[in-house]
Amino acid sequence: MDKLFDNLMSFVQEGEIEASITEAKRAVEEDGIDAVEYLQSVLAPVMNNLGDQFSRMEIFLPDLMVAAEAADGIRDELMQYIEVASDAQKGKVVIGTISGDNHDIGKKMVATLLGVNGYEILDLGTDVDPMAFVNAVKRDKVDVVAMSSLLSTSMPFVSETIQYLVAMGLRDQVKVVVGGGPVNPEWAEEIGADGYGHDAKQAVDLLDRLLA
Amino acid sequence: MKNHSRLLKILRKTETGEIMEDKVFDKLVTATVKELVKKYDIKYNKEDAINMDDDLADRIFEAALELNTRVGMYCISTHRRMEFTREEILDALKWAPDHVVYGAGLDQCTVRSREPESTIPVINVGSPYGTPINEEYYSKIMESYAQEPEIDTIYGGTFNEVYGVKPKTHSPWEILMTWREIELTYTAIQRANRPGLAIGTGANSVSEVGSLTTTSFGGFRQTDWHQTCFISELKTDYANLMRMTHEVKSGLIIHDFYNPIYGGLAGGSEGLALIATAGVMMLPVVYLSTTHSMAPAHPFFNSNTAPEIVWSISAAQQALTRNTHILTTVMTSPSGGPLTECLLYECAAIATMASVSGASRIDGVRSAVGVEVNHCTGLESKFNAECANAALGMSRKQANEIIKQCEERYVEFLGKQPIGKPFQEVYDLTLMEPIKEWQDMYLKVKDEVRKMGMPF
Repeated sequence: MDKLFDNLMSFVQEGEIEASITEAKRAVEEDGIDAVEYLQSVLAPVMNNLGDQFSRMEIFLPDLMVAAEAADGIRDELMQYIEVASDAQKGKVVIGTISGDNHDIGKKMVATLLGVNGYEILDLGTDVDPMAFVNAVKRDKVDVVAMSSLLSTSMPFVSETIQYLVAMGLRDQVKVVVGGGPVNPEWAEEIGADGYGHDAKQAVDLLDRLLA
Repeated sequence: MKNHSRLLKILRKTETGEIMEDKVFDKLVTATVKELVKKYDIKYNKEDAINMDDDLADRIFEAALELNTRVGMYCISTHRRMEFTREEILDALKWAPDHVVYGAGLDQCTVRSREPESTIPVINVGSPYGTPINEEYYSKIMESYAQEPEIDTIYGGTFNEVYGVKPKTHSPWEILMTWREIELTYTAIQRANRPGLAIGTGANSVSEVGSLTTTSFGGFRQTDWHQTCFISELKTDYANLMRMTHEVKSGLIIHDFYNPIYGGLAGGSEGLALIATAGVMMLPVVYLSTTHSMAPAHPFFNSNTAPEIVWSISAAQQALTRNTHILTTVMTSPSGGPLTECLLYECAAIATMASVSGASRIDGVRSAVGVEVNHCTGLESKFNAECANAALGMSRKQANEIIKQCEERYVEFLGKQPIGKPFQEVYDLTLMEPIKEWQDMYLKVKDEVRKMGMPF
């Protein structure tokens, strides 16, 4: 597996998305590696490693975006070799920056790193109305609602989203996590969120724990 | 204002540009930045705290100009890419103001164009930038800035709670809060006996509604300055353009800012220097503005004092101040809060870097990254301004040595949230003075920075 790890890591680091997908397919077809095993023992460790590098700011968002694209491509490609449903996706996450706030990059970092780590991402963008999150829970059957607020003046909308979920009987169907500059764990608890993440790496760890 | 005559040309671009998804625009930004960093040989030397290479600064400027002509700006509201030619950008920069007068009467001050190592005085803004403040302390906190003679103009803080309600953007509450900001800030400048002091507006108007109402009858004055911003990276929207349009039609002084993210779409230090230059270059082009700020943020610390960001800001500032006469601004956004040495060393680093890199205006201090309730005082802004003033005419080489020593004193604390104490615990609210412990710490750090070579 070490050689397969090195091969894939090398392609991803070079930004070679197509070559990454071809390498995964080659490993399954020519080396006879089980597709699920490849996803779990090669792709996941490569993405974890890149996530760790990002958390140390040794690589940056553009590198993560390439990694996410490669990971998506590999998962799609290998699905043809997987007969029964597997846990290739850890869960479905709707993410967005809440109403009145257009800060995009930090949320994008979180979304990308979650994607790299095997979560399916529904990114609603910025300035997202609370009801849009509620609708995603209803229509898209998401497992997690992840809301970001970089502005204290937008934080009430995060709280309102949770209130709407409760009022509509949807709160028990999803985990709700929050983050952003002025947000802290105490406030997350106060408004009834399931967790708080300070940064992208913490968000991954948090969701891994919540959905375990 | 001569540079305001292009208003319709700008607004038309938001309606006629190429329709594009924002993620496609993001990829265009990422790819172009990466290509230009290589093409113009932009390199960060970790051994230096700030850039001292004029040729590199000029290459960054050229790269930024090329980035802006190839990428343009994205209007989120219309999903269109606004394109600009090189000639259009250079012409807009030519007509951008090279000076502006803030304030009225005896409290007037003039912001002037500067260049690296200039002896022309900087203008110092005192402000708790973004820090949530309880209504009961708001006026006192603003007074703590206004009363310092080193401070030339002030900008408000954000309410943590007002009328017993948590602030809520784009709502009637935002309008009420911004009017309350006027009442309490004017009280502060009266108490400081500086009635003509210019005020930056409106700290509580995150959306356009607070600004639009409070720059009408009985609200903020034409001698104040009024804020709008870009969205990272290289984006605008109707809210900011509405604010700008109102400010143009009302003949107001427009201040704007662009805060790119380290490690974001532009990557590391080199890309950050490039995109910060490009973004600030486009502020006067798109918003027809007068003063233009940059405060890149670290994605984990939320501050701008990490060495890799300090260098990027210095390089971007020098790129702009060597090649244009626009009035640039740098904001000090430290991790440390009041009653921490970390905060003061961070101030010294940023203010010195900004002053020797040619910034016309130095803003601060956004203590404890502006998120801890009441964690802000006038004392750190006074020190920020003292460092900026002391560094006038200083060589970048000398500044580099001072900043490196400051960084050695604070870098280890950046990820540890050294938030310190709130205003009410570090100021005597009757005498309006720092308590002895905070004053002594300030004097000690000032003495240490003096020993590093700062000519206080």
